[in-house]
Amino acid sequence: MRNKRFTRQYYLLLIPGFLWLLLFSIIPMFGIVMAFQDFNPGKGIFGSPFIGLDNFRYMLKLKDVKSIFFNTVFISMLKIVGNLAVPMIFALLLNELRYKKLAKPIQTIVYLPHFISWVVFASILLNIFGYNGPINTILSMFGVDPVLFWGRPNLFPYLVAGTDVWKEFGYNTIIYLAALTGIDPGLHEAAALDGAGRFRRLLHITLPGIKTTVILLVVLSLRNVLNAGFDQIFILYNPLVYSTGDIIDTWVYRMGILNMQYSLSTAVGLLKSVVSLILISTSYFLAKKFAGYNLF
Amino acid sequence: MKKKIIAIMLVLLLICLTACNTGSGNGVSSNASASDNNSGTDSQEEGGNATAEDNDPFGKYENPVVLKIGRSIDPLQVYPEGQSPESNQYTDYIKEQLNIEIEVIWSAAAGNDYKQKVNLAIASNDLPDAMVVENAQMRNAVKADQLEDLTKAFDDYVSPVVKSFFDATDNQAVSDVTFDGKMVAYPNTSVAASGIHNMWIRQDWLDELGLEAPKTMEELKEVAQAFLDNDMAGGGNTIPIAGPDTNGKLYANFLASGNNTYGFDPIFSAFQSYPGYWIHNENGEVVYGSITSETKDALAALADLYASGLIDKEIGIRERTEEIVKAGKTGMFFGPWHAVYSWLDVVQADPTVNWQSYLLPLDSDGEVNLHMNAVTFSYCVVRKGYEHPEAVIKMANLLVRDEQTFDVSVLPVADYPLRVNNAVRDECEFTVSALRDVLNGDKTLDDFTDLEKQVYKLLVSDINAVKGVKTEPYDDMNIANWNFDGDNSTAWGRTYALLVGCGPIVDTEYNEVYSLLYAQTPLMESRWVNLKKLEDETFLKIIMGIEPVDSFDAFVDEWLDIGGADVTAEVADTVS
Repeated sequence: MRNKRFTRQYYLLLIPGFLWLLLFSIIPMFGIVMAFQDFNPGKGIFGSPFIGLDNFRYMLKLKDVKSIFFNTVFISMLKIVGNLAVPMIFALLLNELRYKKLAKPIQTIVYLPHFISWVVFASILLNIFGYNGPINTILSMFGVDPVLFWGRPNLFPYLVAGTDVWKEFGYNTIIYLAALTGIDPGLHEAAALDGAGRFRRLLHITLPGIKTTVILLVVLSLRNVLNAGFDQIFILYNPLVYSTGDIIDTWVYRMGILNMQYSLSTAVGLLKSVVSLILISTSYFLAKKFAGYNLF
Repeated sequence: MKKKIIAIMLVLLLICLTACNTGSGNGVSSNASASDNNSGTDSQEEGGNATAEDNDPFGKYENPVVLKIGRSIDPLQVYPEGQSPESNQYTDYIKEQLNIEIEVIWSAAAGNDYKQKVNLAIASNDLPDAMVVENAQMRNAVKADQLEDLTKAFDDYVSPVVKSFFDATDNQAVSDVTFDGKMVAYPNTSVAASGIHNMWIRQDWLDELGLEAPKTMEELKEVAQAFLDNDMAGGGNTIPIAGPDTNGKLYANFLASGNNTYGFDPIFSAFQSYPGYWIHNENGEVVYGSITSETKDALAALADLYASGLIDKEIGIRERTEEIVKAGKTGMFFGPWHAVYSWLDVVQADPTVNWQSYLLPLDSDGEVNLHMNAVTFSYCVVRKGYEHPEAVIKMANLLVRDEQTFDVSVLPVADYPLRVNNAVRDECEFTVSALRDVLNGDKTLDDFTDLEKQVYKLLVSDINAVKGVKTEPYDDMNIANWNFDGDNSTAWGRTYALLVGCGPIVDTEYNEVYSLLYAQTPLMESRWVNLKKLEDETFLKIIMGIEPVDSFDAFVDEWLDIGGADVTAEVADTVS
């Protein structure tokens, strides 16, 4: 009895969240019909004429669509790999730190950029990598000609991914640190007594200890493959790097909001949602299988 | 868990982005109809006593009329104490003269931000009572049947002077905004000079180096090189030629045909290239100017200048070109006569900064070619169902009548609510000639007819101010011969812009090139975005050396292939 009452309160607490979800996520989903219409804002989604799959046909004809899907996947893959590897290595290093008093301050400092919004962080980055910025000043000391970092299509995806990792690795480190604290110190002591050095213990105790966490994070990050980070790229890109930096979200924004191609951009957005749904389902299935992660 | 929720939010963000428009559209339309009802009852109360005199172009409403507007804001504009975008000397004046209360319900930074805000208003079917839009936006709003018919308001209330501006366009201005016999917007009537791009150059730098203003492309390169070699700005900061920033364009185009400050229009024209314009080729066929071989030559020249470090390295990426130009880092830029209009702070900070302008460089035949702007390109539209559509006409009348009484040094006239600039096409040229006559002593204010004083709306104030601002010798335009202290500071900007910026237009013989078309055709609505993106990206890359000049040929093929050929055929159809 006591247990039941207890859970009922929890359900009550969920109400605001569900209302939010309903209002801002579920109801707007009906706007998807725009993808099948020649949408006219004056007539609304109830009055606009249906044109079947015309928008999708035109979409598939556009060269752009292929390149934005590729760019999105490429940039987000770079981000996923970076955001898994860098925090893990950093957490391991932090964990092995001899002088433990330093660990906390370092952790706090690298955590800080996470709290700065992209708008602010991006303008800092634009300056740092600017033509007259510090990076180019340092390069020029070594006799390298200044590089127009933000105008180089071949550099742009890496800059985006790199700066994203820079901003977020402190935050992601915490997850790994939490996993590391879950490892029984007794194992380390025992191994040390048996003569295992630091590196051996890392290889045979620490890594296996956090294996499940790593697998879980890898699998769960799959669903982000089509989210390459709108706000970041929107602020950092320019026409010069459209070829490698334009992602689905920025393209949909420009097409739908700047150029008033409502139906076409909804069609592209819908395609993205469908692919994302498949990816999320897959990642959930894999997470359940390999990491025993259960949502329901 | 947190990550999961964030992920779900991100996935749904896109759906929201596109779908919220419709969702909120429905919500808002019911709001809008509710407020319609409200304003309906309001006007019933006002009903009989709304205007004392019927059809008076300057009639003051007896009861305050509320006009809710969306407006753009210049992010660099500093408002004087007690004034703001919402409430300033112009809104006060409108309230006092017409009893119209301006309420700013939203605002956005001029440029892309404002464009986006307007598009969202149209997409969500939630228009303010009035706002200023571009041609394509007007067409979209017409398609969505969102705009009030202004035909009657315009016919009944337009003042005779403003009417004369419209008549002077051979009815072009009215027909630009007439759809199915209805006038859906109040357009600007452009000044020809605002579509002409001069070469502005630091005369003090030229003098220091003992150089002349460059007449040809070769000389232009030599002069720019000299600016760079001698580091005229100091500290290694010299940028010989400024270029467009992230909000800017390489060249004006048929949809935005004027006021392209910091573009490269004159350089293209020097190669008889008119990118962005629909023109006839030598065989009389309709062709898009961006795909001609002349344009390729111009791009090659620009790429050469860029590679030599003579053009701003950060074109297209820089946030605001105006900042480096005003900071004195650049030696040359291209822009219309009014580019220096509000640069009082620049010359006050350093009175030796001597910007002069020329209609140069010349083409290979030694001639000056200019591509000309459209008659109308910005439009004041009124929400369908707004009770007092004539209010915007009255405000426009008032601006034309009283613009010369405003103190623009306190706040530029661009802050006048819903301003679309109405003027006679030759306003600048006429005024420059008039000012020169007055300076020479050939004429005085009394020699101008009343009609001229009304039609050239700032003529009286210009003539009154000119002798205070310009010092002798009157034919020497160098900055040393100008007075911009104290009382004269107000008039300096306009007078300097006119005599220095517009003077060359009066003095120079030039070939006018008009676009065959200044609006979108139906097919362009779906295709143009992608064609334009390809063009912008390719040209910028060619200039900046990321792609070789010869990639231009592949660009032409692709452009024609992805819809350019169809669009060209449609334009040819429309034109004939």
